[in-house]
Formats: sequence, structure tokens, C-alpha cells
Amino acid sequence: MIEVVNLHKYFGQLQVLTGVNTKIEKQEVVCVIGASGSGKSTFLRCLNLLEEPTAGEIYIDGIAVMEHRKDINQLRQKVGMVFQQFNLFPHMTVMENITLAPIKLKKMARSEAEKRAIELLDKVGLPDKNNEYPNRLSGGQKQRVAIARALAMDPEIMLFDEPTSALDPEMVGEVLNVMKQLAHEGMTMVVVTHEMGFAREVGDRIMFMDEGIIFEEGPPQQLFKNPQKQRTKEFLGKVL
Amino acid sequence: MNSIMKLLSDAIFYNLIREQRYMQFLDGLGISLQLTFYSAILGTVIGLFLALAKLGRIKWLERLATLYVDIIRGTPVVVQLVLIYYAILGSSSFPKIVVASIAFGINSGAYVCELIRAGIMAVDKGQMEAARSLGFSYSHSMIYIIIPQAIKNILPALGNEFIVLLKETAIAGYIALDDLTRAGNIVRGRTFDAYTPFILVAIIYLYITTILSWMMNKLERRLRESD
Ligand SMILES: Nc1ncnc2c1ncn2[C@@H]1O[C@H](COP(=O)(O)OP(=O)(O)OP(=O)(O)O)[C@@H](O)[C@H]1O
Ligand SMILES: [Mg+2]
Repeated sequence: MIEVVNLHKYFGQLQVLTGVNTKIEKQEVVCVIGASGSGKSTFLRCLNLLEEPTAGEIYIDGIAVMEHRKDINQLRQKVGMVFQQFNLFPHMTVMENITLAPIKLKKMARSEAEKRAIELLDKVGLPDKNNEYPNRLSGGQKQRVAIARALAMDPEIMLFDEPTSALDPEMVGEVLNVMKQLAHEGMTMVVVTHEMGFAREVGDRIMFMDEGIIFEEGPPQQLFKNPQKQRTKEFLGKVL
Repeated sequence: MNSIMKLLSDAIFYNLIREQRYMQFLDGLGISLQLTFYSAILGTVIGLFLALAKLGRIKWLERLATLYVDIIRGTPVVVQLVLIYYAILGSSSFPKIVVASIAFGINSGAYVCELIRAGIMAVDKGQMEAARSLGFSYSHSMIYIIIPQAIKNILPALGNEFIVLLKETAIAGYIALDDLTRAGNIVRGRTFDAYTPFILVAIIYLYITTILSWMMNKLERRLRESD
């Protein structure tokens, strides 16, 4: 589904990613953990070229992304993204937020897009919010709308960058539940998260990032219970 | 007390009523308002193009726009006005109001450009990222997502710019255009009254700018309510 080969990313002199290699299979749920500044977001944002990689190659469905930059808008339609700060469009209603991209990019009929949006809002547990503006919603509701907005493009893979970090604690659960449900339905997901409980329960694979690479990875039972490397142990010791 | 009243009514009589001098002020105000109106339109158009050039990705256009803005903002508007007046008058004879409108429009364009740019850059950068991540191109992201939000930042600032512009046109007298300020000057030349004509001029400017500010505040409140 996604293959990353020797991905490097520098910000000027700062080397953030120094050779990331991985493959993400269809329907796999990968949770990315690691200390602040270890490059988790940068890695995720390289996957849909929100950050331009300095070197390396990314394949999505076998297509070399870097060589097909002019098709990037097409490629991004296959890759949904959910941000820490939600980034809903404040000048649009929930319904417009969700239907804009399908109508404009997929040339979907408005009625069809709205029907789909209502299904999606139902799915994320917000059946009666379609005419609200984002600033009338709580953080947890906003994030669930953001998930619905990304899903409206029928992506093949969903990227989440700390989707619950900006939320009040009592709202974290509602968002994680939606993500859990998505995972059970077989969505391919890459989730940067500090929610170790979620990673352990939902993740098929945990990626621990450090020093600009995937420092250690494995199934959750293995990585959480029996990490092989000292740095991983230290990190887990701090967060668990 | 009586003598003060006498002084005041004399001043008003000589500076405003006699020889229908109020017409002088009214005509001057008309010119000032027209000049502001035309320059505002021209300035907005120029500013829009400059902002597009600066935000776009064509390097030489961006440099050109930056140079334009730097030159205009780095030199006094009086100097620009006089230079443009002689440059255009050297070749043909446009009406002065047209020349002045062009000069003030060119000047205002630089400021409008910066307003537009600031308004666009004030939109959270997560908005562009969210739009791009859905698959929108840069220009579609601008059109559907960024600009509608930026307009709320830009319109109030633009209104402000037009109020500044109205006051700046007071130097149009430099090229002998009979605007409001020059009307005050002309009346002063007739009545030899140093204060009254300009106090009248000041009151008229203040009256107009107050109305404009009031309209702007209303607009601003409207925009804020729609959030
Ligand atoms: N646009 C940028 N320009 C310059 N430096 C950047 C930029 N984005 C990130 N960095 C730097 O790159 C490093 C990695 O950042 P990144 O956001 O990927 O870390 P992270 O693992 O997501 O951290 P966190 O858990 O705090 O979100 C940091 O040192 C950060 O300061
Ligand atoms: Mg991050």
C-alpha cells in the first residue's frame, strides 16, 4: 500500500529524518510513537508531501510519489489526513466542510455528497450537527467532523497526527472510539499518538521513532512488553 | 460675550457666505471625494495584482512587485504626485483629477497590496494544509478556503486605507487641483483670515471620516457576527 525507502528530510541544517524505511500493508494500523521532536509529524507529513522529502522515495499503490509530483492532487485524494488542530474550515457549515471536496474534486452531485455526509456524520456520532458552524462544536466534535471530512473522499489510507492531543481529557475517548471503529472496518491507518492504550489495543504495529529513523518496531505485545533496545525501554519507561 | 459672538458670525459670514464661498468648499469637497473614490478603485485593482504577483510563484513578477511596493512606500506621496504630474503632463494634457487619481491610485496600490498579503497570511496555515491534504490544488485552496477567510481580515483594513487616502489627497493642491484643502487656501487668500477657512476644512474632513469610520465599524461587526 505504502512503501517508504530511505526517506531523508532536512530543515536547513537540521536533520530530522535520516533514512526511514518501512512498508505499510493494506488494512494495517500503524501507531507511531516517540519523543517530542523525533520527527513523527515530519514523517507523516512526508507521506502526502505536505513536507517535501529531501531524499528517498515514497510509493503509494506502487506509484513513485516524488516522480509524479504533478499528480500529487490526485494522489492526496487517496490519502486522508486528520490534524491535531482539526483545521476545519470555519467559514463553512459542517455539511459544507464535508461535501466541498467530493463536489469540487470528484464532481459528485450535491445531493449525493450530502447523503454521504449524513451517513458519515452518523458514523462519527454527530447525526444532528450538519448545519452548525465549527466554532459551535466542542473539540471532540470538531475532530470527529474532521475525520468525516477526510472520509468523504473515500481515501485508501488515513493519516492521523496526534488527533487527540488538543482535546480535553473527557473528549479523547469519543475520538479514539471513532478511530477504533474505522480500524475494525479495515481502514489502513497511520496514527501518530501519545495514547499508549489506544496503540496497544488497536495498533497492528508500533513504530518507535528516534534519531531520525524508525528506531524499533514490532507488534504491540512485543514492543511494549519486551523492547529490545535501551532507548525504547527508556522512552516506554517514561510514558507508560 | 457679545463681542465673541460678533467675531464668530463675522468670521462665518466672510469665509463662508460672502461671494458664496461655501460653494468653494463644497466644490472642493466634491473633488476630494471623487479623487478618493477613483484612487481607491485604482489602488484596489493595483494592490490585488501586486498581491497576486507577490504570492504567486513567478520569481521575476514577485521581485517586480516587491520593488514597486518598496519604492512607493519608501518615498513621500507628494513627490510621487508631482513626478507623475510632470511625467504625464509632459506628453499630453489629461484633466488634473485624472492625473491625481492615477498618482494616488499608484500610491495606494502598494499599501493595499500589503493589506491583502497580511490578510491572507493571517489565515491559519493549517487551513491551506487541510485543503491540500484533501486534494485541492494551490489555487483552488486559495479560492475556496483561504480568500473567503482573508476577506474578513482585509475589508476593515481596506476601509481604513480609504480614510487615510481621503486625508492624503489633501496635497492635491500641489498640482493645482482645487480639492477641499486648496479651497480653504483660496478662501484664506481672499479673506486674510488665517484660521477660519482651515477650521472649516478640518470640520468637513472630520465629518466625512467619522461617517466612513462608522460605516466601517458596522461592516466589521457584520463580518464578525458571521463567524
Ligand atoms: N517547518 C519546519 N521548519 C523547521 N524545523 C522544523 C519544521 N517542522 C519541524 N521542524 C523541526 O523538526 C523536528 C521534528 O519535528 P516534528 O514535528 O516532526 O516532531 P514530532 O516528533 O512530531 O514532535 P511532537 O511530538 O512535538 O509533535 C523538530 O526539531 C522541529 O523543530
Ligand atoms: Mg508532531
